[in-house]
Amino acid sequence: MRTWANRFLCIVLALSLTLTLTGCWDRRELNEIAISVGLGIDKVGDRYRVTVQVVQPAEVAASKGSAGYSTPVTTYRASGATIFEAIRKMTTISPRKIYASHLRVVVIGEELAREGIADALDLISRDYELRMDFYVLIAKDTNAEDLLELLTPLDKIPASKIFNSIQVSEKAWAPVSAVTLDMFIRDYESKGNNPVLSGIKATGNEEKGKQKSNVEKLQPDARLRNNGLAVFRMDKLIGWMSQEQSKGYNYIINRVKSTVGHVPCPSGDGNVALEIIRSKSKMRTEIRNGKPHLTVDLRVEENVGEVMCKMDITQEGVIDSLEHEAEQSLKDIVEQTIEAGQKTFKCDFFGFGNALHRSNLKAWKQMENDWDEHFVEASVTVTVKVDIKRTGTIDNSFTHDG
Amino acid sequence: MPMNTTLKTQACLETNLESNIEEIRKQTHYSDDLIIRKVRVGAEGHSIQIALLYFDGLSDERQIYQFILEPLMQERVTTEGHQGSELLDLLMDSILAVGQISKFNSLDSAVQSLMKGYVVVVVDGCIEGFQIPMAGWEQRAVTEPTNQTVIRGPKEAFTENIHVNIALIRRIVKSPNLVLKNHTIGTVTQTNVSTMYMEGLAPKEVIDEVVRRLQSIEIDAILESGYIEEFIQDETYTIFPTIINTERPDTIAASLLEGRVAILIDGTPHVLLVPSLFIQFFQAAEDYYHRADISTIIRGLRYFALFIATLVPALYIAITTYHQEMIPTQLLISLAAQREGVPFPAFVEAIIMEATYEILREAGVRMPRAVGQAVSIVGTLVIGQAAVEAGIISASMIIVVSITAISSYVIPEFDMSIAVRISRFFFMGLAAAFGMFGIFIGIVAILLHLTSLRSFGVPYMSPVGPFHFSDQKDVILRVTQRKMNTRPSMFGKLNPFRQPNPRRSKRS
Repeated sequence: MRTWANRFLCIVLALSLTLTLTGCWDRRELNEIAISVGLGIDKVGDRYRVTVQVVQPAEVAASKGSAGYSTPVTTYRASGATIFEAIRKMTTISPRKIYASHLRVVVIGEELAREGIADALDLISRDYELRMDFYVLIAKDTNAEDLLELLTPLDKIPASKIFNSIQVSEKAWAPVSAVTLDMFIRDYESKGNNPVLSGIKATGNEEKGKQKSNVEKLQPDARLRNNGLAVFRMDKLIGWMSQEQSKGYNYIINRVKSTVGHVPCPSGDGNVALEIIRSKSKMRTEIRNGKPHLTVDLRVEENVGEVMCKMDITQEGVIDSLEHEAEQSLKDIVEQTIEAGQKTFKCDFFGFGNALHRSNLKAWKQMENDWDEHFVEASVTVTVKVDIKRTGTIDNSFTHDG
Repeated sequence: MPMNTTLKTQACLETNLESNIEEIRKQTHYSDDLIIRKVRVGAEGHSIQIALLYFDGLSDERQIYQFILEPLMQERVTTEGHQGSELLDLLMDSILAVGQISKFNSLDSAVQSLMKGYVVVVVDGCIEGFQIPMAGWEQRAVTEPTNQTVIRGPKEAFTENIHVNIALIRRIVKSPNLVLKNHTIGTVTQTNVSTMYMEGLAPKEVIDEVVRRLQSIEIDAILESGYIEEFIQDETYTIFPTIINTERPDTIAASLLEGRVAILIDGTPHVLLVPSLFIQFFQAAEDYYHRADISTIIRGLRYFALFIATLVPALYIAITTYHQEMIPTQLLISLAAQREGVPFPAFVEAIIMEATYEILREAGVRMPRAVGQAVSIVGTLVIGQAAVEAGIISASMIIVVSITAISSYVIPEFDMSIAVRISRFFFMGLAAAFGMFGIFIGIVAILLHLTSLRSFGVPYMSPVGPFHFSDQKDVILRVTQRKMNTRPSMFGKLNPFRQPNPRRSKRS
């Protein structure tokens, strides 16, 4: 009996100890958090202005009859000397604490981007709640807050619309680059490369786009559009690449998964669309006569996607000449992009410096501190090899037969 | 053998028939169902008075008339010139047409025999009598198993009668090495308890240990195998069963051939098997009747169901209250939408639903069949619909509770599924207080506990921990019968091979 009493006493004592433990300190129920999916950062004066796009779950998961009562997302704005303060300050207007683990995009206003974004990104790389898998974007010609307040059709959550459309368009249409925060930081810290971020732009009437009626129309008043790539020197935005250049950039850094290009018909009266199905590029930097020499070696596999002229593609020679045309056109794009880097932006955002670092450490050690100047001086060789593999489900166009 | 404490005197028969009868009646406290039939045997003048005693309903009267009364009362019977034990020998050798018959001289044994349905024959002028086993009463026939059903395989189950049960086993294992030992346990109920094992297969230590533990039981009544189980199990304070019970003769036969010991208890269709291992609770009889590949897949499903039944509510609580970052964004939004307006924390929500389910389950077992439908309708409405529509419980919690409830019944043994359900609440509490961290601490604690358990000296978690490679044939996998060539090394060491040389015979 004594052992029984002892055992019972031990259990009671052990259990009473648990009262002093603080087990549930970070417990929060799903309906106590504001799931934020988009974060916008602008600078007004010397204060940061932070916009957070928060999901209204009941509106998004519209299985109940209550849906349609409000917009699928809402935004909270606050400003402060630091971003962290601003976010915490949002509790003065939001009933729930902002929860950032599911952040899809961080949008930075162009103005702030031109001033430099490294300081602004410190919090989001430091805070434990944020994952590293969201995309960092630059709001072209506008503030981040305006972009995050547009409502979008098809994907009810604008931030995830942006996220998805970047992902899809990177896969199927080359001139977009999905850059996550860790990629940006890596490029920022490396001396042989400068960061590039994707841009996003609002088109149409922005004020009307903020209303629910925007998604009730067949043609919304305002849309969000991926818009080329923004070039940075260190953390400062210095300019925007054109569509062509953006595509060329992706070819050079070997990030083209699939895209479509066109070449003129041999007969000259129409175009042939070529679908790029595989692209592999090699960048090399060597020192020739004391100067860096940049080499891009591009190998592309393509399919014939569309033929808009009379031409017999069953002939071997025709495919050969198409390949040659395609090689020429790709070579132009790539050369023009590198030239833009050397002449317009005057900085290396491709990573040729890193290539030199890998191939010739001695030369790199001499050049690393003023690499951008050496890059501008560098000579360039571009070789392109195109291989046309298939012609789709038909050989010749039916217009050819007729 | 424990002595009958209610009968203290070692009284013996006397020569006087009437006083013998009186003594027996006295010892049974003049119960009215003691039938006494007095007959006169032998020709007129030399006739001897004989009394038959038996309890009404315990003995088969038809057989008594046919094989005892009829021979005794035939006219040709002559008892002339025989007296005392000589007379008894005459009766035994040439008159009574029964198989098992034995003499007795103590009143105690006479009364005990009566209780077992024997017919007691007392002869005037003799200090000995006969006891003839003639038990026969109404009993349930051998039917299909109610708990351990199979699609393919024998559909016989044990009954309440131990003799029938023994016969069911012997009919499968036709080997002279199948040994049966009887014990009588329960000072008042005098319950027959038999151990069965294969001589030359079951380890001597285990058999001795079983006998030792059975003999150490001193209690007035044994009504079911659960009594025995509790007395002989290695560890009392655990939620995990360390002795398996089954109602299937084929399961017992298979286990006997692996070198285990079966304990049969009169009056219950549940037979105990020792030693029992954790993995046994996940092996259904049918695993060995289906093809090996099918059985392996289904067994995998069972372990998966174990995981679901134990951990899913806990994981749901932990992830939705501590680790929201683990949920894919779309799912998180849809879960959050369901939780909008739910007044309770996820843990309370889960406890409410799990408790509701357990109440319904218990009611379902206990309630009279006639009201079954009413309860299930109420249950369905309460659990399935009203709780969600009233906004008390989120719909996803219903899914979690349902899948958990169903999964716990995939475990073939009911004892284990109860253990799993109890541990579920333990894990839910840990998840609510410490999140994932708590769950993993809980898993480690349970694993430590499981590995510390023993069943008749055999580690409960073997052959997984301690690991035996050759025994993995029947843990997660169920290898083909050709490859199943050795017995479990834990208890089948004495005769390890089941097949002579399986590799050679493979292609013959």
